[in-house]
Amino acid sequence: MEGIYAFGLLAVFASIVIGFWALVRENDDLHRILLTDLAEILALALIALVATDLAEALILPGLVVGISELMAISEVFLVREGLVRQPERMLQIEVMDSAPGLLALALVGYGILLSGFSGGAVAGIGVIFYFVCKGHDERFALLETLSGYAWAMWIVAFFIFMLLPQYWFFGVLIAGAAILLKVAGKMSLVGTMRGGANV
Amino acid sequence: MFELPVTTIEGPELFVLEFGDIVNYFTVYTAVLFTFALLFTILVIISRPERQVDFAFGGDAFYTKDITPGQFRFQRFMALACGMATLGAMMSGDVFNFTLFTSMVGITNIGIVAAYRNRHVLNAAFQYGIVAMIATVPLFGSAAIILATTGTLSMWALFGPAIAVPLVAKIFLVLGVMGEGMAPFYVAKAEITRAPGAPYVLMIHVSSLLLFLRVVEIVISM
Amino acid sequence: MKRREGRGTWISRISRTISELENLAGLYAVLFIAVTVLGAFTLTSLIYHDDQLYPKTIDAADPLNPYQRGGTPFNTTDVQAQYPDNSPYLGYVTAYLTPVTRFIADHTPYMGTTIVAHPGGIIDEILYNTRGLDTVAETSILFVAFAIAAHLFRRDE
Repeated sequence: MEGIYAFGLLAVFASIVIGFWALVRENDDLHRILLTDLAEILALALIALVATDLAEALILPGLVVGISELMAISEVFLVREGLVRQPERMLQIEVMDSAPGLLALALVGYGILLSGFSGGAVAGIGVIFYFVCKGHDERFALLETLSGYAWAMWIVAFFIFMLLPQYWFFGVLIAGAAILLKVAGKMSLVGTMRGGANV
Repeated sequence: MFELPVTTIEGPELFVLEFGDIVNYFTVYTAVLFTFALLFTILVIISRPERQVDFAFGGDAFYTKDITPGQFRFQRFMALACGMATLGAMMSGDVFNFTLFTSMVGITNIGIVAAYRNRHVLNAAFQYGIVAMIATVPLFGSAAIILATTGTLSMWALFGPAIAVPLVAKIFLVLGVMGEGMAPFYVAKAEITRAPGAPYVLMIHVSSLLLFLRVVEIVISM
Repeated sequence: MKRREGRGTWISRISRTISELENLAGLYAVLFIAVTVLGAFTLTSLIYHDDQLYPKTIDAADPLNPYQRGGTPFNTTDVQAQYPDNSPYLGYVTAYLTPVTRFIADHTPYMGTTIVAHPGGIIDEILYNTRGLDTVAETSILFVAFAIAAHLFRRDE
């Protein structure tokens, strides 16, 4: 076991040297963003080397921190470069006008049934599909509000676990619903920022 | 049940707050840091932003830099979040939890400066953001190595004499805080502080200073 | 006086390189590489601690495979937490399965691949209960990052 761990560490350390040397040599800012995203994986690899349930639970916050920073940095990059392009609608098919309501409803419904992380992803895809087809003029304020509610629900769940542990069941369900909202909200942002009219 | 094994560095513990596996605490040392962070957070809440005035050299002309209510509200929110994250990092009793709060300080710092429209300031925010992003690798890496080699993340166990924390994990931790709090990179800070909005920008300095004081305490105690 | 690039003593050349904002990330990366290379030399002293918290057990025949930790819903099971005294209801979340999860587990052998996604289970026990503060910090980070991106994106409305 010890030998395996040292070997894994050696591999990650070698990858760190390679990845960060690439960062030293890269001068283009856009490529730097991509490289930092790649480098974040190495932190997850170091956590994964612990190989317990705890490590698995620590990977999730690690991953989320990486994604959050990437989101903020790339938005700073876009603003700095003044990259505000308004793409015209690429695709216009008849089925895109009739199908979205029903399909999005089915996906969101199934996502709520699944609940939790993957449920959020399924529901998020439903919302994306709806936005892609119908446009998303006034939806961002709604998503921001949603994200705020998800955060508050999570805090409530945390205090249920810490102060009223006998109601753990409600804590789990509230946290599960919050993660559903959170992931669905974030997923539906994919590809919609900087697109479409008057957003 | 909880007693600090070493009291020579930070003094005896004053208060213990138990959240499951994460047991937060105050010692004399961290309580002072916590009070300092709290003070600045309150200052941020009650103060109005400064208004910079640019004078044209050799004439009477001047122009004031405008701060819109939206930007003001956003920056106050970010500075508040930064203060909260600093408070969390000051009282944290768990290495991984500390690293999480540290990276939250890093991201709120990006947020405070990202609100400006000045291209120069945005460039500084971007370059610093890249450093904050790659700093998560040594930060989480150090927590992971500590967990793998000692079997625990709780500072209550790690501070004891029975557990030896590897040197490389300690250096990783310091390096990670350096990147997130931007402690030695005063070059970038000077660029950033050209931006108007005094109390909020100050929060960047306060948070990184306090984080550094805390990480030094952690590394010495381990 | 005009400033000439590439001239001057070695110390002014170093200081010019360091003071350039674009070199900041590279500088940090070099520092980290140096520490990592030093760390690689101490690799033999980094020995895996065998007595870990929340150990992983694998039983390939079980439908809940990598996450089967025993127990029935609304009952407790054994969980190796750091401070079990701080979580009086430790193990209840680990043993819980939603009705949908139970249905899938009863009918297919592959429930374990998606169980992290459903409320209940060992990962939720760690994330929500024993290390709940980590998740609070994580959610706050995501919330703050989302607020930054949304503010930059929407401020010109």
